Amino acid sequence: MTFAIMIITFGVMYYYMSISKKSDFKIRTLPAMLAIPEAVGRAAEMGKPVFWTPGIGGGLNNATQGPQILASISILEYLTEECVKAGVRLDAFCPLPDALPLVEETMRTAYLSQGKPEEFDIESITFISGQSAYLSGVLGYFQRERPASNILMGGFYYESVVIGEAGNAIEAMQIGGTNNTHQMPFLVATCDYMLLAEELFAASASVSGDPEMIGSIKGEDIIKLLLVAMTGVGFLLGAAGITVIADLLGV
Amino acid sequence: MSQVLKREVVYAVTGLVTVLMFVEYFFFAETWSLAETIRTWAVIVYNISLGLGAIQLLRQHTLNLQRKRTNYGYSAVVLAFFAIMFLTGMMGYLATGQQTDNGIYNWLFVNVYTPLGATLYPITGFYIFSAAYRAFRARNIDAALMLIAGCFVILSNAPVGEAIWPGFATIGEWFKFTGQIPGMRTFAMVGALGMIAYGFRALLGKEKGFYAGGGDE
Repeated sequence: MTFAIMIITFGVMYYYMSISKKSDFKIRTLPAMLAIPEAVGRAAEMGKPVFWTPGIGGGLNNATQGPQILASISILEYLTEECVKAGVRLDAFCPLPDALPLVEETMRTAYLSQGKPEEFDIESITFISGQSAYLSGVLGYFQRERPASNILMGGFYYESVVIGEAGNAIEAMQIGGTNNTHQMPFLVATCDYMLLAEELFAASASVSGDPEMIGSIKGEDIIKLLLVAMTGVGFLLGAAGITVIADLLGV
Repeated sequence: MSQVLKREVVYAVTGLVTVLMFVEYFFFAETWSLAETIRTWAVIVYNISLGLGAIQLLRQHTLNLQRKRTNYGYSAVVLAFFAIMFLTGMMGYLATGQQTDNGIYNWLFVNVYTPLGATLYPITGFYIFSAAYRAFRARNIDAALMLIAGCFVILSNAPVGEAIWPGFATIGEWFKFTGQIPGMRTFAMVGALGMIAYGFRALLGKEKGFYAGGGDE
């Protein structure tokens, strides 16, 4: 059944991507993504850097954390471009060694796409391994540099609340995002804007304006609707003693 | 040539590995030796990237020291401890054949690194406290509802709550298990769907971040 759902999902998404150029789909704007230029503008006005980190939840080969890190890196590209346009320094703290080359290349490409490759400074990327060392490094950086805006997006563990609160202590504007349900409350409590669950994965599509990317979100929404309908019908049938949908799903 | 390497070859490798893993998961119940080998490669690449991270760390702190930047003393401490841990680890390995199970390395790890990490972790409590204070201010109806729910959960967790009124425990448990879990499961389900959608876009070369900005234009 999982295989069938995957194939149907791919099929529906591909269909909506293929008709997207003619159909002109619209998706709702994500306030957290709209706030990124504001965060960069704040940093430009204050003459302070912007801080970005993907958390230390897990490496790229981790099934649940890896996609979040990649989604965060997709957002990093947009963030870097905004920082280059505004002439703001972006400091990236990456505690994941396997994501480090990707972060470096993404930032380098963003500088290049804005026509300022010479301004890219590899020293704006800091690598610190180990959760405690990473946390200490970030807390120290906050006290020394006092960034104007913090972008905390990716796979976080307990560092989310520590970094979020330390960011509040230095009165930074904060934008968070994670798919880790156990860390969402901490980021909601400490950040000004938040990307919850699938919003993190849809964020890069929403800012790209690419019809095919938006079409894929439309396809995803259709599947979501189907799954919700299936759950509802299964619940009602189950209450009536008919377990056909539960049997189909193997639950 | 570099664009071919950066785009087409990366697309091809991504597509090939995805198909292999997909087929293995659904048709071979994760027992296909070829896919297992690729997973082992992933672990090896991860460990090589650790070396890359170490080089980045050394480079940054060496430059801090050379150029005597602000707080360069901290960089000296980092470099000194890096050297100590690296040398004791290597010498211990050469002397005993054990990778990490040698006296000096273990002593440093157990008596320096572990206590420092253990000291940092409990400060989370203070941060949670101040975050809760911020979140529980009844600025609007939503925040007020959360404040009420939060009070019940706190009183159900604290022994004094049940001593005051046993109903606090029952209501708090309801919030924790009946109220919270459906919401969290909804996030888990839509998050999983979001991951599938992201993976599909990445596979088609649409997610530029996945290709370090080198994806399909």
